[in-house]
Amino acid sequence: MNISQAVKMAAKSISSNKGRSFLTMLGIIIGLAAVIILVSYAEGQNLAMKAYYESMGTNTLSVSAYNWMDSSNNVGQQLYDYCLGMKEIQGITPNGYVGRDVTISYGAKTLARNRNYGGGMVVVGGGGMSVSYGGGSDDHYPQIRLGNDKYGLCNDYKIAKGREFSYLEIQNMSQVCILGSDTAEYLFSFADPIDKIISVNGLPFRVIGVYQSKAAGINLGNSEDSYWMSESIKRNDQLLLLPSSMTRYFNNNESITDYTVKVKDSDSITKVVTDLNGFLSNIVNTNYGGYYVDNPQQWQDSQNEAAALQQRFLGGIAAISLLVGGIGIMNIMLVTVTERTREIGIRKAIGAERRSIITQFLIEAAMICGIGGILGIAVGYIGTMVVTKLSFGLVLMPGSAITVAAFAISVALGIIFGLYPAIKASALQPVEALRAD
Amino acid sequence: MLIDIKDLYKIYNEGKESEVRALDGVSLQIDRGEFVSIIGQSGSGKSTLMNILGCLDIPTYGDYHLDGTDITELSDRQLAHIRNKQIGFIFQGYNLIPALSARENVELPLIYQGIGLDKRHERSEAALERVAMFERANHRPSEMSGGQQQRVAIARAIATHPNIIMADEPTGALDSKTGRHVLEILHSLHDDGTTIILITHDNGIAATAERIVRLADGKIIADGTREEVGL
Repeated sequence: MNISQAVKMAAKSISSNKGRSFLTMLGIIIGLAAVIILVSYAEGQNLAMKAYYESMGTNTLSVSAYNWMDSSNNVGQQLYDYCLGMKEIQGITPNGYVGRDVTISYGAKTLARNRNYGGGMVVVGGGGMSVSYGGGSDDHYPQIRLGNDKYGLCNDYKIAKGREFSYLEIQNMSQVCILGSDTAEYLFSFADPIDKIISVNGLPFRVIGVYQSKAAGINLGNSEDSYWMSESIKRNDQLLLLPSSMTRYFNNNESITDYTVKVKDSDSITKVVTDLNGFLSNIVNTNYGGYYVDNPQQWQDSQNEAAALQQRFLGGIAAISLLVGGIGIMNIMLVTVTERTREIGIRKAIGAERRSIITQFLIEAAMICGIGGILGIAVGYIGTMVVTKLSFGLVLMPGSAITVAAFAISVALGIIFGLYPAIKASALQPVEALRAD
Repeated sequence: MLIDIKDLYKIYNEGKESEVRALDGVSLQIDRGEFVSIIGQSGSGKSTLMNILGCLDIPTYGDYHLDGTDITELSDRQLAHIRNKQIGFIFQGYNLIPALSARENVELPLIYQGIGLDKRHERSEAALERVAMFERANHRPSEMSGGQQQRVAIARAIATHPNIIMADEPTGALDSKTGRHVLEILHSLHDDGTTIILITHDNGIAATAERIVRLADGKIIADGTREEVGL
């Protein structure tokens, strides 16, 4: 008997036992779909968290240090110098804010931030009309920051066009600026912003660089769960970066108290945090000031731990589904053992070799499980899309590794338990197999 | 000599209290072209004998030569070849595969012989013609009466042109008229030169054979013509 005959026989057997074939497939379909949906869901959540944390920068520390009423003790400068001397630190930048209303304009385009609106924002249109948004999707609310030549490095921005600040530009309070991708797009549309002069509260600033978008390519969907993360990532692109020395103009010469420190690798973070705390405790008089070193890595680590826990939990449920599906397959396959034993007896009596019988049953089990497996993957993918729509809003596709693994497991289960009765029965003397009823 | 068995034993649970000697030292020779009825009461060992003669079962002890070949020496695979090419079986319960049509059931042994599609159709059609079942070729066993199923089973047995037909109570499940028809088919196959071994408990049916072997308690107690065995 050749393979094509065996395939035909297997197809015939499957189609003439539709109920049994379907029940076997059902076990595989449910098991596979459950694994795919649950694991995709867990991975989707991880992806969102990862994107969110990565947008904040990796291996970065937020350091804040200030001394009131002691202008002789320039904490910022000392911190800066100390960090330059540490080999574990790649760079440090002030991360200053502008504490007043700011209006940015280029030609007819104007962006404005009004402090009095609190968390809200105002976009002043070309005609000078104020248009207020409650936080819509075309929110261009500018994030004005004061930084130095290491700002991009420390905050994980990459230059798309132009360059970073130079050390001299910081020292000289040069009227230059770098734009986030969203700000650049809003002000210049498709034109090249480099060397154009924009106005910030009436003061001319030359655009020397544009950062790449951090939000591009990250789709966290639009569900409530992911909305705040999405918005937070998008705000990175609404940047206007000015030299840190400009604090003298914009903040009435108040010194900047916030810094971002980029550590060379994650292994050094703990040491750097300890050292910085030690250093700051010596130079900051806490009666008149304060300091803290914030390690976002810690948050990320605990978040990762929670996510891993959830993934293990969901993975466990998925594994149980697969197991139950597998037991279903096993059950159906074993229940048919007597019916099949007699059939095997008949086939042997009329001259089937043991090999032909095993080949036929192997192909049969592989076909049932293969079809069931493909349907299971399809149901899993559709289910993932449905879950996507219903809850998390993430556009997710299940990982191919987990899909392949789950497919392999369920097909293997089906084949093993489909083949087992055939192997057993084909070893019997024909007369014994024929006696089964 | 086609079939030659000597001192054949089939013992179940040997050495235990529940030991059963289904065949207890049977010796029998059957020539090519004979029509032999094996009779005996239920439990006399006649089905066990047929199963061993048909290579469906192996004896506990004893010699069996089929057409000069020592069957007890053969592998599982070689036995399958013998069942496939040399022997055609007809069972009391028909033993058709329910999922397959009459034609597919008849073609099954030909598939195991590796015969091509056209030749297979030709042979299955001829076999179904012979038992007057060609009209029902595409029907499944569940769509046929017992007599029709048995005729399909006969067609399956003869499709491979075997030397021997072994029929175990072929009329047992049929009414007397249908039974007679099945018997007529067997006789006509015998007329064509096929060796027929018919197992039955029905003396009337057994009496149509030229040679009758009577079994009791696993032993042959009579062997000869109708008159000689006293039917």
